[in-house]
Amino acid sequence: ALCYLPEPERGRKFPRHRPENYSSQKAVRRKSSSRRGLPDADADLNATLRATMTKLTQWLWVLVLLGSAWAALTMGALGLELPFPCQEVLWPLPAYLLVSAGCYALGTVGYRVATFHDCEDAARELQSQILEARADLARRGLRF
Amino acid sequence: MATGTDQVVGFGLVAVSLIIFTYYTTWVILLPFIDSQHVIHKYFLPRAYAVLIPLATGLLLLLFVGKTPILQWSPDLAGCASTL
Repeated sequence: ALCYLPEPERGRKFPRHRPENYSSQKAVRRKSSSRRGLPDADADLNATLRATMTKLTQWLWVLVLLGSAWAALTMGALGLELPFPCQEVLWPLPAYLLVSAGCYALGTVGYRVATFHDCEDAARELQSQILEARADLARRGLRF
Repeated sequence: MATGTDQVVGFGLVAVSLIIFTYYTTWVILLPFIDSQHVIHKYFLPRAYAVLIPLATGLLLLLFVGKTPILQWSPDLAGCASTL
């Protein structure tokens, strides 16, 4: 029943898990590529370029890098004398980014709620059809 | 377009988020560059509160997310199952 799922394209990150018969897949790929006359290095390069880093790891990496940069700057570990206004802006920066991300989320949700396309005619039609169906089924003996 | 209360609530949320964003941006980003004798500093709390208030609000929200029930058991669900 999984035949309707699309084939993962070459070089795509999905599926992230390695199938158990990975080595046999590699052997099959090697055979087919040599049959096509392509060099075997192509298949190996493809395998190594296929990223094994998950989205979570990427996000954590970015956070760790930015966080360490911020910590180094606020504690003066790099030894450069920032002007006082810049220091004042720098130390609340993580809180500021969190608050602005929250504001963006709230604003986007509110905007999409306000501009959602209601189909009032279709809703009324659906309600009348539901009543019709209930009456019909009740006539045929189904008890609600 | 959405109708009635949906529009009011939606645009209300947008307005609230814009107000919070501009006030907070002025507080954190703009105030250090403004001369400390300027009258605008009267409208803003001391700078430490710029971190303490969001932190406290965040902690309160996290606590209340755990407390309130997310899903509510309704009698309708039980009624639906009995007709099948």
